[in-house]
This record gives sequence, C-alpha cells and structure tokens, in this order.
Amino acid sequence: MAGSISEVKKGCVIKHQGDLFLVTDSRFTNPGKGSPFVTAKMKSITKGKSIEMTYKPVDDIEIVEVQNQRLQYLYKNGGFYSFMNNDNYETYELEEEIVGDAGKYLKDGMEVYGVMYEDRVIAISIAPKMQYKVVDAPPAVKGDTASSGRLLKEVTLENGLIVKAPIFIKTGETILINTDTGEYCERINE
Amino acid sequence: MNTLNINAVLRKISMKHIYHIDNNFKKLNTHFAILKLIREFLWREKFVEIEAPIIVRLPGQEPNIQPIPVIVKDEKKKKFKGFLHTSPEYTMKKMLATGFEKIFYLGKCFRDEESFGGTHNPEFTMLEWYRQNASYYNLMDDLENLSKFINKKLKFNNKNIDKKWLRLTMREVWKKYVGVDLDEYLDQASMLKLCRKLGYKPQATEEYEELFYRIFLNKVEPFIGKSVPTIAYEFPKCMASLSKETKDGKYAERFELYYQGIELANVYTELNEAEEQKARLVKERNVRRKNGSLVYDVDEEFIDALRVGIGNCAGGALGVDRLVMIFTMDKNIDNVLGLPMSKIFK
Repeated sequence: MAGSISEVKKGCVIKHQGDLFLVTDSRFTNPGKGSPFVTAKMKSITKGKSIEMTYKPVDDIEIVEVQNQRLQYLYKNGGFYSFMNNDNYETYELEEEIVGDAGKYLKDGMEVYGVMYEDRVIAISIAPKMQYKVVDAPPAVKGDTASSGRLLKEVTLENGLIVKAPIFIKTGETILINTDTGEYCERINE
Repeated sequence: MNTLNINAVLRKISMKHIYHIDNNFKKLNTHFAILKLIREFLWREKFVEIEAPIIVRLPGQEPNIQPIPVIVKDEKKKKFKGFLHTSPEYTMKKMLATGFEKIFYLGKCFRDEESFGGTHNPEFTMLEWYRQNASYYNLMDDLENLSKFINKKLKFNNKNIDKKWLRLTMREVWKKYVGVDLDEYLDQASMLKLCRKLGYKPQATEEYEELFYRIFLNKVEPFIGKSVPTIAYEFPKCMASLSKETKDGKYAERFELYYQGIELANVYTELNEAEEQKARLVKERNVRRKNGSLVYDVDEEFIDALRVGIGNCAGGALGVDRLVMIFTMDKNIDNVLGLPMSKIFK
C-alpha cells in the first residue's frame, strides 16, 4: 500500500529496502524551505537496528498492514513485561525496548493491543486515555507557586506513575490521564 | 481568588487551557522576560520598534510558506480578501525606502499548514530587524550579542551560548558533514546526481532547493550546532530568495543560525535591485502555481520600494519561541506558549 507522509506514525510498519521497519517515533516538519517532510525513527523488525528516514510528499512509501491482537498486561518481572492473549492463553514476555514509553502507563490487568508480525509482538499500543486510582496526593498548600503555578500538584498513581493533577484531587480518587502526553484530563466521579 | 474559590471552579469542569498555563507557569515567565530583554537590547542599540499590519493583501511568495486567508468586510459589508502576514518583511522594506534606518518588529506572524507543536505553531512570535548601511556580518554579531545578553541577564549560565559561536560557509558545512565540495553542485543537474548517488530517490524535475534540502535535512541539520551555536552562511545563488549575491556570483549573502538541531534565524544582506527582485518573485509565484498552492499577485508596492531605494541594508528573522525553547531546554514549542494551537483546537 502506497502511503502519504501523514500516515507515517508511531506504530506503523514500513517496507524499506526489502526489510520491514516499525516506526517508533515520527515528526512532521514544514521548514518553509523545500517541501514539508516527515522524519521517522524506524527499527528493523528482523535485525533490530534503528535508522532515521526523511520522507517527502512525492516519495513512495510502502506501508504494510499489520495485525493487532488484544492482550492483557499481567506483571513486570525483571526487565520483562508479561502479557497474555485471553482468547488462546498465549503469553508473551516483552523487553522494555519493545514496550517503550507505554511501559510507564501499564497497570495490572490493563488491556492493550499488540502489533503482531508473524508470531511475535513487535510493539504495543495503549488507549489514548486511561483511568488510574490516586494512591498519594499531598494536601494542597495555599499560595504554593514555587514549582509551577497554583492550580496543579504532583500526585502518585496506583502504578507508581507521578503526574500533575489539580490541587483538589485527593488520595483514593480516580483520574483520567492522556497516555500520549502524561497530562491530567479529568476526575472520574464514581 | 482564594484556594476555596479555585477549588469550587475546578470541580466543575476540566480546564485544559488554565492547566496548560499553570503547568508551564515558570517557562512562560521566562518567555515574557526574554521579550522584555530583546526590546531592551535593541533599544540600547538605537533601533526603533515599528508596527506592521498583520492583515495584508499580498503576502510573501516563498513557495513553501503558506499564508492564512482572511476576509474583512467594510461598513457596507463589502468583502476584501486578505491574508495574515507570514513575515513583516515587505512592510519594513517599504519603511526603509522612506528613510527609516534601524528598525525592528517583535510580534506575531502566521503560517498555514504547519504542525501543531514540535518546533512549529501556526501562530508564532518573530523578531524581524533591519540595519541600514550594514551587511549580514553585522547581523551575525547582533544575534550573538543578543543571545549572550539574555543568557547573562536571566542568569541561565548556558556555557555553550557564552562560547564564541562558529561561523562556517555552506561550502565548509557540506565539506564537513556531506564530504563534498559544494562548488561542484551548484546547479540542478549536478545536485540531482549527488542525491541519487547518496541513495535518495528524487524525481528528475525536482527544484534545486528541494534536492539541496533532501541532503541537508538528513546529513547536516541534525548534527550542526550540537554543542555551540553555528552560523552557516553563503547559500547557493539559486536559494538567494531576497538576498544579495556574493562577489563571485556563485553564492548569496544569506545565513541561518542552528543550535541543538533547531534553525533559529534566517538572515540576508538584502537584495536592493528592483527588477531582479521582481523576476525572482514571479518565478516563485510560478512554483506556487505548479505546486497547487494559493496564488496571488506580486506586491508591486514592495517592488516600488526597491525602485525608490532601500540602500545597503541587512535584515533578519529570529523565531523567538524557539529561542525561548533553547533557554528553557524544551523540545516542544507548546510548553513555552501561553496557549498553543494544540490546546485551542485539538
């Protein structure tokens, strides 16, 4: 499938010089000199080597369709993350490198999608927004403007992740987090 | 408002805008302090701050810069089609023609079809400044002195900015990063060959500039100015845009400033020959048409300004938000903007 540069996104697979590459990061730039381009960091699925490629709108980009499989996150053991496919009870032990930035948003029992190549999981993708229970929220100090402004404070979530949330958030409450930016979205009223 | 009131408001809604500002409170303070220091520096140098209309009828012709169209109605509701300016350059050169000598604009410019975030925001703050009886070497000094002034005044103690900046010709840059003599690749045919030799797959009809940047953006820009701010000067003649040719006629007196993989400024010794300028703009307009971009007339009043005479001047444009990113060590422009497009529209 010939793709346009807007389709070159994190998680997509591109055929390049006979090898398959997983895009691990991509950045669109319109430099105002020469036409716009997208810079993609890509990792060879077969050799594991990372490269950086720049694509222009006129370039042929061969985007390969991949299968996604629903997986459940079990636990982290040493440097590996364990996932299970609940349909066939197949388990996968994934290295930190494959899980990438998504690792910090994982919590026990969470559902994710595994990007499959043959029988291997080559990447995982998580929902853009996820709910977490707050396990530690220090009381807000009035007039505390030392670190940022006056409306946000740092809270710790059930999986250990520390995010900024509004000062009224209390321990035990559930909040929604944007898993792309790590930003607070809203409080979930239960 | 006391904490109790804030709590009452916050409980009601998710406030994306206010949280963004709150989250970047310190960086925004830095941003605004830098605006103040830019003015202080330029006023001390006896520059006059000017205002330029943001809504113009005929914006710049740069083929890869897209203006944002607007419609303005008069009191009879008669419609006038205009654009938000992509740079105050034409207005400022019209001022130079009447005798203004050292002027600067510090304000918003607008460019369409840019990413929301990263190193771009469609609405951004630009410092554009001109010096009469000067060349682009004087503006190299301005940029270096201004950055060092900010570094000192805000006590950033950024050691790299304090070092003597590197100044390399494009020819030296290509020798260093691409390993070729740029003198041998100054026309479309030779640059096309070089692109193919280096493994790129350009189309045979691509413009010289496109080919140049295919290599430059991959082999040079990510690596140049990594540790110390670097000025790359003398661009191939066909990328002169609004700048003057060098004496040997092969290059143009244009430079760009790079630091940490970001292009911060673009500066010219200004072309002051009206007919040559007109010819270049007509050519750029044709490229716009070929690319399917918005097409509008060349601003004849701007050409008239050159006919009247703008003297021997140099002018530059500095991306102020990007300069702030350098000092706050941010990779995303959104973090130094009060409200970036991404928070307004997405």
